[in-house]
Amino acid sequence: MEAGSFGIYLFLFMGLYFEVFMLITFIEKRPAARNNSLPKRFPTVAMLVPCWNEEKTLGKTLDSLLALSYPADKLSIMVIDDGSRDNTAAIGKEYAAKYPQQISYHYKENGGKYTALNYGITHTDAEVIGCLDADSFVAQDGLIEMMKAFEANPGAMALTPAMKVFRARSVLEMMQAVEYTFGIFYKKMFDNIQAINVLPGPFSMYKREVFDKIGLFRHAHNTEDMEITFRMHSHKLQIANAHNAVVYTTVPSTVRALVKQRTRWSQGFLQNSLDYKYMYFNPRFGNFGLLVLPFALLLFVGGLYSAFYVLSRLIGGLVARVLNIQSTGVPLSVPTPHVEWFFLNTSMMTFVIIAIMSLTLVAIVLGQRIAQNKLSIVSIVCYFALFGFVAPLWLARAAWGTLTARESSWR
Amino acid sequence: MNFSRYALAFVITAAIFGTAFYITHRLDAQRVADIRTAEDTLSIDLLSTQTQFELLGSLDCSALGTQPILSDELNSLAARLSVAEQNLGTDNPQVVQLKKQYSLLEIRDYLLLQQISQKCKSLKPVYILYFYSNSGDCADCARTGDVLTYLRQTYPDLRVYSFDYHLDLSALQTLIHLKKVTNTLPAFIVNNRAPVYGFKTLEEMQTLIPELKTLATTTSATSTSSR
Repeated sequence: MEAGSFGIYLFLFMGLYFEVFMLITFIEKRPAARNNSLPKRFPTVAMLVPCWNEEKTLGKTLDSLLALSYPADKLSIMVIDDGSRDNTAAIGKEYAAKYPQQISYHYKENGGKYTALNYGITHTDAEVIGCLDADSFVAQDGLIEMMKAFEANPGAMALTPAMKVFRARSVLEMMQAVEYTFGIFYKKMFDNIQAINVLPGPFSMYKREVFDKIGLFRHAHNTEDMEITFRMHSHKLQIANAHNAVVYTTVPSTVRALVKQRTRWSQGFLQNSLDYKYMYFNPRFGNFGLLVLPFALLLFVGGLYSAFYVLSRLIGGLVARVLNIQSTGVPLSVPTPHVEWFFLNTSMMTFVIIAIMSLTLVAIVLGQRIAQNKLSIVSIVCYFALFGFVAPLWLARAAWGTLTARESSWR
Repeated sequence: MNFSRYALAFVITAAIFGTAFYITHRLDAQRVADIRTAEDTLSIDLLSTQTQFELLGSLDCSALGTQPILSDELNSLAARLSVAEQNLGTDNPQVVQLKKQYSLLEIRDYLLLQQISQKCKSLKPVYILYFYSNSGDCADCARTGDVLTYLRQTYPDLRVYSFDYHLDLSALQTLIHLKKVTNTLPAFIVNNRAPVYGFKTLEEMQTLIPELKTLATTTSATSTSSR
C-alpha cells in the first residue's frame, strides 16, 4: 500500500469511527418526541437581534419574534444596530415605534457582532438571553420549546436550537439543507454526550448566570459563538440541545459567499482551538475534550488531505496522459467502459467509502426524523455530489488564513 | 465518561473494515477463478482447433473459418489478467500462475497460427511477439503497451502476443532463446522477422509493420489499459 492511500485509510477509519460512535449514542438515548405541554414557568426573556446592514431580512426576523407563542410581558426584543449603513435603522425604528412594549431599537458605532451582543446583555436584566441573527426566523413555538428544554435539563446553562435552511431553492441551498439536517442529528448526539461544539448565532439561549460567571462575548476571531461554547466547557457549564425549538436561517446562495462564511467558521475553529488547546485530549473536559475537539480537527485535516490526494492524482494522471499522447502519437479517445462486474472497482477503499456514505445517509434520515423535516431526493443527491468539491475550498482557505495569521472576514 | 462506548465504536469500526477487506478478498478470489475458467475454456478451444486442423490438414482451409485462432478470447483474457495484476500485485503467486498459463496459451496459439498459415496460403496473418517486463527494468513498456493496444483496436485482425520476459516458464524461455531476443526491453518480433528493440511511436510502429495496410480497420479505435 502506498503512503498516500495509507493516509486516506487512516482518515476513513477515523471518520467511520466517529459516525459509528454517534449512532451508538443515538441507540443509547433517543430524542424525546414533540408534545403540546407548556413550561411550568415563563421566565423573562430578552431576544437580542444584532444587525449590520440587514435591511432585507430584519423585518421578517422581527415578525417571527412577534409571532412567538410566549407571554408578551415576559419577552423583550432588542434590535442592536451595529452601525448599519443601509436601511436597517429605519426598519428597526419603525418596528420599535409600532411595538413599543416589546421591541426596542438601539444604535451603536460599528464594533463587530460580539460588541452588539454585549451591548444587549448589559442593557437587559432578563433571566434568559436569546440571540437571533437578523437573517433567521423562529418557529412560533420555538421559545416555548426552549423553556421546556430548560425545565427538562435543569443543569443546562445554554441551549442550541434545531437549525433548518429557510427556502432551499438552488442546488447550493439544497446541499446546505441536507448538511443542516444531519447537523440536527449530530447536535442532538453531542447533547447526549454533553459535548455540544457551538452555540450558533440563530436562536441560542443563555441563562443570565452564564455571563455573570464567565464574562461577555469576545471577538474570538469572528466566531464569538464558538468561543463562548469552548469557554463554557472550560468552566464546566452544561449546554443542551432543544431539538424541538426550530429556527430557519437563510444560507449563502453563491459559492463565493458560502466559501467566505465557512472559511470564517473553519478558521475560527482552528484559531479557537489554538487558544483552548489545553482542552484537547484532556479527560477533565469529558467527551468534548476527548472526542469532539480532536475529531473535528482530524476531519478538518482529513478533508484537506483527501482533497489534495485526489487532486494530485487527477493532475498527475492528466499530465501523464498528455505526455503519453505526445510521446506515443496515439490519439486521445474515450475509454470504453466495461459492463461486467469483473472490471468494477472493488477495492477495500470503495467498500469503506460506501459504508461511510451509508452511515451519513442514516444520519440524514435520523436528522429528518428528529427535526420532522422532509428532504427531497434531489437535495440528498446535491449534497453527495457537491459537498466534496466545495468543502476543500474553505478548508484550504481557513488553513492558509490560520498559518498566515490572516483575519477572516464576515462578508 | 463512558469508555465502553469508545471501545464498542472501535470494535464495530474495525468489524466494518474487516468486512470490507473480506468482501474485496472474496471478489478477487472470484476474479482469479473466472480467469482460470476462461483459460481452461480457451485451452479446450485451442486443442479443438488444433485437432480440427490435424484432421483436415490442408484439404479444406475454409472449414477452419476465417478466424481459426481465438484472438478475441486471448485479448479479453489479457484485459482480465491486467485487472488481477492491478488488484493483487504482479508478484502474487496466483497471478503469476495465471500469467504462466496465459503465456502458454499464447505460445500454443502462435504455433497453431504458424502451422495453419503455412498450409492455408490464403491466410496471411499479421502478428507481433511483444516482450515486456514488470520488474522495473523497462521504463518504456507502459508507453509501448498503449501503442500496441491502439493498434490492436484499430486492426482487429492484428495479433499481439505479449510476454513477460522474466516469467519463469520454460516454454517461454525456449521461445526467447529460439527468437534470439536479448534483455533490451521492450522488444518486438513482427511476422517472424528479426527482433526490434526499444520504444516505437505509433507512426514508427506503422512503418515497421507495412502489412497493416492489408488489414481491415475499425472506424474508431478506443483505448484500454494494456500490458
